[in-house]
Formats: sequence, C-alpha cells, structure tokens
Amino acid sequence: MTRLTRRQTLKSAVATAAVTVFGGALGSIRPAAAATDITAVEWGGDVVTAMKQIEAKQDKVKVNWVLHQGGSGAILPKIKATWPKAEYDYVAGWEGSFNGMIKEDWLVPVTVETVPNLADIPKKIIVKDAKGEWMAVPRAVGGIYFAYRKDISPVEVKSIEDLFAPSLKGKVVWPGPTQSMMLQIVALALHAGGNEKNMDPGWALMKKLAQTGNIGRIAVTDTDFTTSLTSGETAVGFFSEPQLTAVAKSFPLVRLTKQEGMPTFLYQSGFAIFKNRPNLKATLEFVNFCISPEMSNLYAEVAGEAPLNVKSKTPDALKHLAFTPAEMDKYVYVPDFNVVLSQQDAWTKRWENEIAPLL
Amino acid sequence: MKPDRGSLPLLLPAGGVFLGLFFLPMAGLFIESFRLYQPGSIGSAANAPFTLTNYAELLTPAFADFFLETMRISLLASLAGLLFAFPLAYWITRRFSPRGRAIAVGFFVTLMFLSVLVRTYALELTFGATGPLRPFLQALGIALNGRPYIETLVGGGLLHYIVPMATLTLLGTIQNVDPRLVDAAQALGAPGWKAHLTITVPLCMRGLLAAFLFAFTFSISAFVIPMILGKGRVLFISNLVYNRFSEIADYPSGAAISMVLFFVALAIVYVTSRQVNKRWTS
Repeated sequence: MTRLTRRQTLKSAVATAAVTVFGGALGSIRPAAAATDITAVEWGGDVVTAMKQIEAKQDKVKVNWVLHQGGSGAILPKIKATWPKAEYDYVAGWEGSFNGMIKEDWLVPVTVETVPNLADIPKKIIVKDAKGEWMAVPRAVGGIYFAYRKDISPVEVKSIEDLFAPSLKGKVVWPGPTQSMMLQIVALALHAGGNEKNMDPGWALMKKLAQTGNIGRIAVTDTDFTTSLTSGETAVGFFSEPQLTAVAKSFPLVRLTKQEGMPTFLYQSGFAIFKNRPNLKATLEFVNFCISPEMSNLYAEVAGEAPLNVKSKTPDALKHLAFTPAEMDKYVYVPDFNVVLSQQDAWTKRWENEIAPLL
Repeated sequence: MKPDRGSLPLLLPAGGVFLGLFFLPMAGLFIESFRLYQPGSIGSAANAPFTLTNYAELLTPAFADFFLETMRISLLASLAGLLFAFPLAYWITRRFSPRGRAIAVGFFVTLMFLSVLVRTYALELTFGATGPLRPFLQALGIALNGRPYIETLVGGGLLHYIVPMATLTLLGTIQNVDPRLVDAAQALGAPGWKAHLTITVPLCMRGLLAAFLFAFTFSISAFVIPMILGKGRVLFISNLVYNRFSEIADYPSGAAISMVLFFVALAIVYVTSRQVNKRWTS
C-alpha cells in the first residue's frame, strides 16, 4: 500500500492550484484573442441551424444565439424596454420588423464599404430609410404561399375556392393575426377583387372560411404550423418558406407558388445591425461573411430560402421560388408594405372582433 | 387590537417591495392605458395625448364574448376542481395514517413545483395532434379539431393546477372541523351524506371559498394553457393582452385590457367573498 505523507499532500495541492489558476488564466486569454463575442437574434429550426453552420466556417466571431419568440415584431418591445442600451448586435427579420426599427432610429446604416458583399446584392431590394440610406443587409428571399400535403389532403387544392370544400373540415391550418403580416387576408382580398388598400372583400371571405369549420388550427407560432402539418392534424395551409420547407423534408408537399388565383408573396430575410454595441466592426464582418456567395449557398440549402447574392446558385429544391418575369407578373403579388405595416394594429383588432368569435 | 408601533418598521421592507413591484408598475400601466397610440410605432410616444379610445374600443360584443369565454371556462374548471379536491382533501385528512398523509401532501406539493409549461405540453402530447390517445378518441367519434374538445382540453389544463392547489388549501380547513359533529349527527340517525352536506360542507365554506378564489383568479389570468391547448381558437383575455404588448406593440390597448381584467377580477373576489361571508356568518 502506498502511503501519502503530509509533505506530498501539500505539494500536490500546491501543484493542482497552480495548474488551475495559471491554466485557467491562460485558457481565458486564448479565446479572447481568437474570437469576438456577439449576440444575435435568429429564427429557430432550420434557420438557426444554417447560421450555426456558417458560424462554424469562421473563427473571428463567436455568436451567442437568441431565438425569436413569436412573430418578427415580438422582439421590438423587448428592445425598446432597454433602449438606448442595446442587448443584441444583430436581429434577423424582414421588411416589416426592419421598418419598425428604422422608425425608432436603432439601426446602423450599411454601405459597400462596411459590408463589401452588398455589391453583389440587388440594390432594389435593400431596405432604406427616408434619407435613402441602406438600413439592413438582405441575405435571402423567401415566399409566403399556400401549400398542401398531397398524401392526406382529401382534395386537390387548385384555387382559394377549394379551401371551402366540406371534406376539408378541420383540415386547414391558418396563420394567427400576428403571423405573416396578415398577408393571408390580403390573399383572400385579392381573390375577391380587393387588395391591401381595400380589404373588405378579404375580410368577408375570411368570415365565410371561418364559418365553414374548415380551420382546425390557428398557428400562433411557426412551430405550431409545422407540427400541425407534419402530425397530420391539418393538411392545407398558408405560411412562409422555412416552415413549408421543414414539412417538405418529410412529406409530399404541393407548393402552390405558380397556381393562378393563389397569390404568392415574396419577402426578404436579412440582418438589422444595432447601434450602441461594442463590437460593431466584428458584427459587420460576420454579416458580410454570411452573405458571401458560398455562405449564401449553404444558407439556401439548409434554411430553405433562396439566395440573393448574384454570384450564388439557387438550389433545385427552391426552384418553386424562381420566377421568370412573366411568371412574376402572373403569380407574385408585391403589396405596398407601408400600408400593410401601418394596418397591423387595426387588422389584428378586426380579426379579434370579426373572425375569432367564428372559429 | 391596536398595532404595536415598535413593530411597524418591520413592515417597511415588505411595503417597499410591494410599492416598487406592484403599485408603481400598475400605476404606469394605468396611465399608459389612457395614452393615444400611433399605429406602426412601438408603444405610445412619451408626450402622447390622453384619450379614452383604448377603453372605447373594448365596448364590442366580440370583446364581451372573449371575457365571457374566459369567465365561463375558468368558472367551470374552478368548480370542477373543487369537486375533485374536496373529497381528496377529506380522504387525506380523515382516512390516511400520519405517514400516508405526509406522503400525499408531499405528492401534491411536488405537483405544484412542476412547471405549468411542462404540464401543458404533457397534456398536448397525450391528447393533442400527435398523442397516443388520438386514434382512440377519433374512434369514439370525438372531433379533435372541434371546439367542444378544444375547450375541454383547456379546462383539463387548468384542472392540472387547480386540483393540487385546492386540495392543499382544503387540508387545513377539514382538519379544523371536529369529526365528532358528524359522528353525533349520524348517531342521531342522519345518513352519512346528509351529515356531510349539513355539517362538514357548511363548516368548510370559508376554506372552499378561499380555494375557489385561488383557482378562479389563477384561471382567468391563465396564458400558457389556452395558448398551447387552445389551438389559437380558444383565446383568454391574457392572450389578447400578450398580442397587444408583444406582437403589435400597442401598449395602450394592452394596458386598457389589463386594467379591465384587473378590476373585474377584484370585483368578483369582493362580491363572492362578501356574499359567502354574509350567508355563512348568519
């Protein structure tokens, strides 16, 4: 049996303490020199998976990922509550949330000098403020449209009228009032001869749809939508690209992006970069890296949104979002987002007053 | 009894916490509820004018329906909860050995520690779209996307919390009722059920009221349970408040709904307590 003397015990304790203290100190110095920490707000599911893969392809920035809870607008009150102390370096979003942030003067303008890869992004799509400055960095384009599961849908959906089929009772999953910027009602309005500026025909049709009992679930989060379709609870829905891509990975999904009479909406997803943050330079570099041609390809493959960088390639799985100019005119509707955004409050209240009691 | 002045400073920390964490935020919410909201902005502007619009907007049949729906489901769940909890509490108090009682109390206390979110998802996974009971329920002809089923599921979610809470509340109440009173009534020829209804229940009425008020106030302010189990179709007032604050950033409207809910809850607690006290004191 080996006996341990008091001297040996003290020696080993001192040695252990030395390794712990100096080793820990060295350890803490190394990462600081290697990577800058930033905090980013991203979408869950495949989007954050894609972004984590992009993060792993570089070593200058280490990202603390925070996920959106609810719609893209849900983060705004949380930011306002702590402003001018900003807690996030960038927030992923789209035109809707970006415009709210621009109004509050939270964002850093971007240029080709600060984000060089912006040179390869179509200028027309970049969100601007009243002075014409670029206020967000677009990374991809996605669609919001109707789709159905071919294996379980009792009807082959070809027009909005088919949503009223009695065989679809409880089989439609519909976005809640705070999802998809209410473009679902704009789609109904377009079908009934209106548009975002004349929504009454859309609301009338929405009432009719609610009364049929065909709406089985109102999706109040993006996971609600995916789970409802993948579990077979519902078979037909209207939602945005990443959620539909998630369903399409496991089930035969018919995406009605090129179906006459069923409008498709396109949106840009991107990065809003915040003022009052210590690591602005690192954030800009990371965002620039994310929209490089290679990372745009990776993002498109994993997240299921079509790349915007002209040097990148749209994957085959996203061909349903590639439109010729003639198809663009025929199937894609671009609403006046200023009108859509300014009406969110009124439309939500109208939903609560007129539609929710019928569901 | 006159309060001892020397002990008053002991109340100061609690009073300070209550002032800072309850009264001041509520006062802020009250003021916000009268501010004018500009669509598209996040909350009201610092110098926004005062208005009654946020309250006027609530004077609609649809809002009354939301309110009544919240009250109806909460009331039914609270009463059902008491119906389950009272016999449970009675059984634990009167029939269990001291060791069995300790185990039962420990079990209910543990249930209270379980997060509402965990209980709600447990129900969703069992009875929801992907639940193992789905084929069985469908075979019984139950429409799983039908409104009655969804409302029942929301009620079930509320019961998950109400039953342990009400049982624990009632344990002390039943313990304080002298069992010899029931024995005496039965010795004089009263059937067991009548002895309980005329002696045990009236003597427990204040405890039942306390348990009911706990259950009811918890239910009307429930948020997670209707959000997850309600499939976006059964909406409680709290869900509307959340939408206003978090989704469309219309703070003044959210504040107005919160204020209405707060004052209605206060009124219900006051009226119910008063009626029960009046009836059972006399």
